[in-house]
Order: sequence, then structure tokens, then C-alpha cells
Amino acid sequence: MDAIIPWAPLVLDALSAVLLLALVALGLVVIFGLMGVINLAHGELFMLGAYAVVVATGAGVPFWIAVAIAAVLVGIFGWLVSLVLIERLSARPLDTILATWGLAIAVRQGVVLAFGPGFRSVEKPTDASLSWGGITYPEYRLQVMAIAAVVLVLMMLLFARTRFGLAARAAIARPDMAAALGVDVKRVWRRSFFLGAALAGLAGALWAPLISVEPNMGLGFLVRAFLSILVGGSASLGGVLVGTGIVGGANSVLAQWLSGLSAQIVIFLIAIVAIRLRPTGVVRSQ
Amino acid sequence: MLEISGLHAGYGTSMVLHGVSMTIPRGTVTALMGRNGMGKTTLCRTLMGLVAPASGSIRHDEAEIAGLPPHRVAARGIAYVPQGRGIFERFTVQENLELGVAPWGGRVPAHVYRWFPLLADMRRRTAGTLSGGEQQTLALARALAANPTTLILDEPSEGLQPSLVEEMATLLLRIVGERRMTLFLVEQNLALVRRTATIVAFLVDGVIAGGAAARELAANSPLIHRHLGL
Repeated sequence: MDAIIPWAPLVLDALSAVLLLALVALGLVVIFGLMGVINLAHGELFMLGAYAVVVATGAGVPFWIAVAIAAVLVGIFGWLVSLVLIERLSARPLDTILATWGLAIAVRQGVVLAFGPGFRSVEKPTDASLSWGGITYPEYRLQVMAIAAVVLVLMMLLFARTRFGLAARAAIARPDMAAALGVDVKRVWRRSFFLGAALAGLAGALWAPLISVEPNMGLGFLVRAFLSILVGGSASLGGVLVGTGIVGGANSVLAQWLSGLSAQIVIFLIAIVAIRLRPTGVVRSQ
Repeated sequence: MLEISGLHAGYGTSMVLHGVSMTIPRGTVTALMGRNGMGKTTLCRTLMGLVAPASGSIRHDEAEIAGLPPHRVAARGIAYVPQGRGIFERFTVQENLELGVAPWGGRVPAHVYRWFPLLADMRRRTAGTLSGGEQQTLALARALAANPTTLILDEPSEGLQPSLVEEMATLLLRIVGERRMTLFLVEQNLALVRRTATIVAFLVDGVIAGGAAARELAANSPLIHRHLGL
């Protein structure tokens, strides 16, 4: 028994990284599945969530309320992006890649103008640690894991069990038929963009106390989220979880022994092998 | 009632409809016949708002609906069963029907199960596992779940055996009579048209080339010869 104890924090670290990455990747998948839009600004939505928490806690807002505000604000930003930018390009899906790439640059530079290029930090709401069976682990990370897990389950229920989920799935499967049955497809798009952006904002907000907040912080997450989707497949939540488990887990475990660059190289190799063996993702759609 | 006048529509710069004008009186079954490629499906899709008209007018119960997006057309009580049925194969039968009721809520009306008792026992089945005839039934039930005043059917007999076509004719007449519904039936199956429709119009190269009372259409009628090549 003793032998596994040093491993436990490592496993928990990996699990929390995987759950947060799953929030980011799920947002990407929702937006891609519904609208066929590859949102290259998704990392910046993550970054905006972190900055929202920096600003809100700086203004004296309690941490957890700041997290909720961050998720909603980034969600509203996503809703506006859908309304102003994405819907106008709906007939030209390839151009949305350029548009979201441009948006990503604009948001990054906007944040540099507003906050400067330097690092910011956010206080953890608690520095306490929980001990159980000889394992000591920071309470905040456990809270983050619990929130991420609950949100992932809620998202699954939203798409599987609610009217919105039914309309959204119909709009993915047969957009024309869904519209002819009365689904306002553009409204579904806007709500999905809200959800996808809010998930990224939530992940950024929750992660903010654990890393340095800076304008380029979203990039690494965007890359890992895309790799996760490529590895796991974009057809289901299961695919997203498997993909993030492989990519996020490997990243977090490898970072213990290897330099950041070497870990990146190994992850790309894993991704290449996985995509070669399973071109449509580890979890296949029927 | 649907009044179509001078309707031009198509895809990009290639027009398919070149000034379609016709009236579908309220509470009647009006059929549209024509060979493949004449623009029948494009007309259905334009009525439904899935193809934007280049010019012309579509009036539904006095209100102009040309150019409305499809969900607004649906909200005005117009339901549509496309060619190929448009079933969501990976959804359950129940989910398909619920989408028909109204996208944001509501129950499947009891009379739908009265018309289609078969579906009541299949609610939990995945729609893709249904037979062709069952899928056509589901598509029709889904369209009727919204209690539409006007129903557009694009080739409902396609791929059905003659006995099922006969069954469908009986059911359509019963439903149209019970709900005083306006039915626009796009068909190539003369038997179904003669059993259900009052008036038949012929679409040739994107314009209405003539019409006749359905009763007068014998299989050897010169109209059928000219417009359907039978």
C-alpha cells in the first residue's frame, strides 16, 4: 500500500488537468459539431476567463462569485461573437477559421493593451490541504475537480435529456429538416457558442490560481484541446473524455520527468500514432 | 390556403422555378405532378423557406411568407415531409415526434397515436431501425404532431409497396377530413393522386404547364402522356 502513496498526488494532478482540459475541449466540440466552426479563438476565451477572475477578485469580489461571473461574461462574449462574426460567414465555413484566428489575435492584443504583457496572479480561495489515508492534497484542486466533473455531467444531461439538447442534436444531424420542424437554427448556434465559450471561460477562471495569468496562456490549452479531439474523436462526449484523458494525462505525467519541450514532443508522437491507428478517433461513432 | 404567384427560385445563379403561379385552396388536396428535374422538390423547399425565392410571392392564409426563414414558416402552421423522409435515424421514435410537436416543448397529441397506432408501441426504438414504410409513417406523424393547417408532402409513396400506398391514401383522406387540412401533394404515383387529390397541376421546366380535375385523369389521358411520359 505504501508504494502507491507517492503516486497519488501525481494521479490527482493529472486528473484535475484532464477534467479542465475536457471543459475546454467540450466547448470546442459543441461549437464544431453544431456550426462546423473550428474556433481558433477558443484559447483566448480560456484566457479571458482567467483575466475576468483577476479583475473581479482585484475589485473585492469573492473568488467563487468571480468564477461564476467569468464564465457568464465569457459566455456572453461568445454569444456576441456568434451573432456579429460567425453567423455572417455561415455560407463560408472555411473563412470562419480565418475569422476566429483574427479574433484570437485581436483579443490577445486587446488584453496586452488593457493589462500589459506581464504575468498576473490570483490568490487561491483556500491554501488548506486535505489528508486521507496518508495522502495529502490541496483542497482547492479537489474543489476544481469536483466542479469540472459536475459541469461535464450537467452538459451531458443538457444534450441528452432536454428540449434544447434535442433541438441542438437535430440541428447537427439535419439542419434543414430541423429548421423545417421549427428549430431556429441560428438561435441554437448562438446558445451553443454561449455554452462553449462559458465552458472555456470557466476552465480559465478555475485554473487561474494555479498558473500565471498572461495573454498567451490560452495557446497551449488550445493545442492540447485540438489534439484531444483528434485523438478521441468529436462524435461524442465519451470521445472527448478519452481524448483529453490520453493527451491531458500524458502531458501532466510526462511533465514530471521531462522538460516542457520533450513532453510536448512525446504528446505529439502519441497523437500521431493514435490518429494513424484510429483516423476517426479512439471512440468511434456508429 | 396557399397562393403562389410568379415564383422564381433556384440555387446560386441557376434558376429552377421560372414563375410558378398556382393556388392551393383551403381544405383541399391539391397534387403536383411532373417528371424528375422539373422543379417539384425546389418548389417544396421554396415554400418551406429552405430555398430563398429570387422573386415572386407566396401567401399563406392572406399573409406573405416568401423569404421567411423555415422555422417562421413552420410556426405559421405549415408542415413538411421532404422527399426521403428526413427522419433523424439515430434518435428514438419519441424524439422524432417531439421535434415535430414544437422544438421547445409540448406533448405529442393523442390523435397522432390514434392515426398511427403502430408508432405508440415503437416509441423507444431507434428510428433508423424502422422499415421504409414505418419511417414514412413516422415522418407523416411527425409533421402532423404540430397540428398544422397546411401539409406539404414530397413524394410520400416513394419506395412503398402498392398495398402501403393504398393504406396511405385512405389515411390521408381521413386526416384531411378530420382536421380540415390543406394538403399539397407532390407525387409521381398516379394511383395515389387519383385516390386523394381534387385538382392536379403539372410542373414542366419550372412553370405550371396545366391542370385538371383528378377524377378526369385516366392513365391514358393525353395530359399524363405529355407531362409524365407514361
